[in-house]
This record gives sequence, structure tokens and C-alpha cells, in this order.
Amino acid sequence: MLPRSYGLLIGALRAERTPLRLPLASSTVAAGFPSPADDYIDVGIDLNEVLIRHPSSTFFLRVSGDSMVEAGIQDGDLLVVDRSLDARPGQVVVAVLDGAFTLKRLAHHQGRLRLEAANSAYPPLELHQCGDVQIWGVAIHVIHSLGRHG
Amino acid sequence: MADALALIDANNFYASCEQAFDPALIGRPVVVLSNNDGCVVSRSSEARRLGIGMGKPYFQIAEQLARHGVVVRSSNYALYGDMSQRLMSSLEPFVAELEVYSIDEAFARLPRPRHGELRRWATELRSRIRHNLGIPIAIGLAPSKVLAKLANRIAKGDHRHAGVFDLGLEPSHDPWLEQTPVEELWGVGRQLSRWCRLRGISNARQLRDMASGELRAKAGVVGLRLQLELQGVSCLPLEEGPSAKRETCVSRSFSRTISDELELRQAVASYVVRAAEKLRRQRQRSRRLTVFARTSPFSPGFYSQAASAALPLASNDTAMLLRAALPLVALIYKPHKHFAKAGVLLQELQGEEQLQHHLLAPLSDEQQQRRETLLRNIDELNRRYGSGTVQWAACGLQPSWMMRRGQLSRAATTRLGDLPTAWAR
Repeated sequence: MLPRSYGLLIGALRAERTPLRLPLASSTVAAGFPSPADDYIDVGIDLNEVLIRHPSSTFFLRVSGDSMVEAGIQDGDLLVVDRSLDARPGQVVVAVLDGAFTLKRLAHHQGRLRLEAANSAYPPLELHQCGDVQIWGVAIHVIHSLGRHG
Repeated sequence: MADALALIDANNFYASCEQAFDPALIGRPVVVLSNNDGCVVSRSSEARRLGIGMGKPYFQIAEQLARHGVVVRSSNYALYGDMSQRLMSSLEPFVAELEVYSIDEAFARLPRPRHGELRRWATELRSRIRHNLGIPIAIGLAPSKVLAKLANRIAKGDHRHAGVFDLGLEPSHDPWLEQTPVEELWGVGRQLSRWCRLRGISNARQLRDMASGELRAKAGVVGLRLQLELQGVSCLPLEEGPSAKRETCVSRSFSRTISDELELRQAVASYVVRAAEKLRRQRQRSRRLTVFARTSPFSPGFYSQAASAALPLASNDTAMLLRAALPLVALIYKPHKHFAKAGVLLQELQGEEQLQHHLLAPLSDEQQQRRETLLRNIDELNRRYGSGTVQWAACGLQPSWMMRRGQLSRAATTRLGDLPTAWAR
């Protein structure tokens, strides 16, 4: 039998969703004025459900490099990639370029598709010029850790 | 129209998984080796085209592989297991019923539409799986399981079929059955195929049409079912969901032989640890445990021995199982023997929910619960941080007999520290 899924938030992403329930106060935080609704705790938030729509085709990758910083993707970030989506212009995609996973934004430019970095230091790649490019998946979220905590 | 049965399986599953998570391998010949880097168990289509044989011992062909620039990988079960689960759950929405048959194949039952055509369905499924998981699959369609398996072979055998073959739509099955040797039929073992050959029955068509009385005398009801299935009468049901296991076995060949009793004890202990983990995952307990070890059957002085013990109380507690297993090692150990393989078999399994006779229980309920929590935590730590994070002292530290997996790829889909890199450069 194959391993059953496990209730870790991110460690083991599995086909089957395993909810991690975090209590959620249903009103927004308002200083000094408690809402009576706060007595009623909602069911909770499952981050897997928020981040992953298609569990069996969603994978995690680790970002290395700074070419996507202007898209909010930084070195060391955790990338959530859904392979079941068809890439559309404007989306950040994982492309297979020269035998490596490469992070770019798919863009329309003068009637042609190209892969752009989100950092002016890196030139765009015209798709019709770079031969064999495969779009591996569409990046749907990036998880950026705010340094040491916990 | 009657339902159709489909046999859906991945092409070169292990090699395809390796290629899916290492883009440097796309289009390159890749082979995956068995446990202990013994022999070739999976070849990418590129490696197949180079004429690299299946099952070839690695040491015999290492030079040939190097000459052709073939990428060699050890079996990465963490990756294949996870991808298998993803594959099977991706198939589910496409079919009415699914029987997961092995790590990379499943039978499915689906209603055949009025016009009879299922090729479009199969082609769509195939391209979905390819797109979503990067794994190529082949689909064989037919009125029965045995024929679906045969149709799948045809789908894979000729690239003109593009991975899909529907035997159900063929005007006659005869030419397809005639080109299938009896040995390659699902459910025909070595004994039955030899028996067939002696009677001049060499292909599936001949087996289908032979006198059923004769087949029944040889192979009983199993033979009759096989013949009916070949005639397109579905009589093997789809088994949904994994059935509860009655036994669990963990055994491995050593990377080198072991002659030392302590080392054999450590090896057996580590298999007990694995087997106990498996039991807890299956929510089962065992009442009987067998330990076995053998030398290489290819060297002189072959020695093989097993010993078994009943547990006072069904258990999946690693400590309890070790307590029962380790004394058995002394019984099967023989000095000056070069042990090549050992294993542990857990038998008489029962569900965790089954009530135990607490009169005999060595632990109070509270103690029992604390032990279960401890074991759960150990399992979770090992799952989260990689197996062996928390170890049992009986297994020894850094054993040198451990399985050789010299060319293991990363657990790219299941371990945070092993994720593939997306280059932003």
C-alpha cells in the first residue's frame, strides 16, 4: 500500500487534501471595539485548500536567483506550480530551457509570444528564436518567508 | 452496449518519473536500476532504442551504458510512490470504476457510448495525464480484463496506435489474438504455457478456441475463466480499493554479504522497524512473526533458514516486534556463512479496531496509549525529515550492509529539502 497522506502544512503535498484547521475570527481586527461575532468561531482555514486547486498536478519548486524580483518572487522562495493549467500570457511559468527549470513570465509582444524576466537586468527571450521550449507548469503562488520567526 | 474494460498503464514508469523532475534528462536515454543497483528495471524510450536490455545486470552493461551516455538512476521509491498516487487519483474522474492493479497500472470500467467509440476519450485522457504529470500512458480497451491487457500491449507495441488501442471496435479479434504468444497473456504462467506449447497451442487465438474440457482438466475453473475472457465474456470482476493485507514482508539483499551475527541482527532489526511502520500505516497488528536469511543461491554451500514466533498479543509496536524477532536471529544464524539476504514476515494480521484480550495485556490502557503516541510521533518525524531521522538502537549506526543506491535522485515531490530548483536567472 502507498503511504497515506499526512497532515503537514507543506512538507508532504499529496493527492488527497489533508485539512489543517486554524481558528479564524470572522470579523476583521478593529482596535478597541470587540465585535459580538467574535464569540462565534468559524470552521477554520485550510491553507492547502487556499493554495492548491488541483492536488494531484500541483508541485513545489525552490526559487534560485533574482530575475523575478519585480514579480514579487525572491531567491529562496517556495513556488507552488500547477501543471494542469494551460499557460496564458501574463502568467508566471516554469519553462524547460537548456535542460533546466527556468522561471519567466509568458508575454505577448508585437504579436509574438516571449518569455520575460521581471528584472530589467535580464533580456527577454523570443520564443520563436529559442527553439525547443516547453512550458512545464504555471506558477500560482509564491511563499516567501519573512526571515527568522517562531 | 456492454461496458468496456480499460487497462491503463504508464510507459517506463520509473524512467518517466526521473525525466519528469529532472529536465536535463528530457530526450536522453535513462535507465533505472533495481534494489541494490542490481539490474535494469526501467528504460526510457531513448534507452530502449539503443538496444539496452530489460533485466540486464548493471555490472555487465555498465561500460555499454557509459559509452552511449546513458543516465543511470537507483530506484527512488519515494518519488515513484508519490507519482503513482497522483496518477491514480488523476484517472479517477475519467472513469466509472477503477482498480489500482500495481504501482503503474490500473483497470477501469466505463460504459461504452451508443456509437461505440472510445478513442477520443482515451486520447483526451492520455494527453491530460501527459500534460498534468509529465507521464506517458498507454490505454488498451476491450470487453474483458484479459483482452484489455492484450489491447494495451498492442497499443504500446506500435507507435502508429499513438498509445491507444480499442480491441472492442475491431471487426475480428482473430488476427490480434494470433499475433499474441500464449506466454504473454495475463494469467498464463510458465507451467500452463509449457503445457499449451506441448499441445501445439502457441497463440491466444488457439487457446481461446481449444476444447474447454481439456483446459478445465488442466487448469480448472481458472482456465475456463481465462478462455471466457479471451472470448470477450467479462468474468473477472474489478476489485475496487486495496484489500486488507494478511501478510507484510520486508526483505532486502545486502550490498555485500554478512557473516557476523551482530550485523545480521542489525539488518533484521531494521527490517522489523520498516515492517512495523508499514503495519501502523495499514492500521493493522500482527500475531506472528517470521525471520529468514539465506546465502547466495549461486555460491557453493547454499544455506537458508527461517524461524518463527507467535506474539503474546497482536502488536504493531516496534519494540514488541523487535523483542520477538531478535532472539530468532540467533536460531537462524550459522557461523562462516555468507548471508546475502534476510527478511521479516509479519503474519496473522488483524485490524487495529479489533478488540484485544486485555487480561493478558502487559501494559495498562494509559501506558498503551502513551506508547501509541510515541510511535505516531516517531513515524511523523521520519516521514517529515526522511526515514532514519529517529532510529532504533538495535539497527546499529551507519550500517555498511545497507542497500546500495549509489545513483539515487531526490525525493522531488515529497521532501521539502529535495525540491527541484526553478532558476530565476
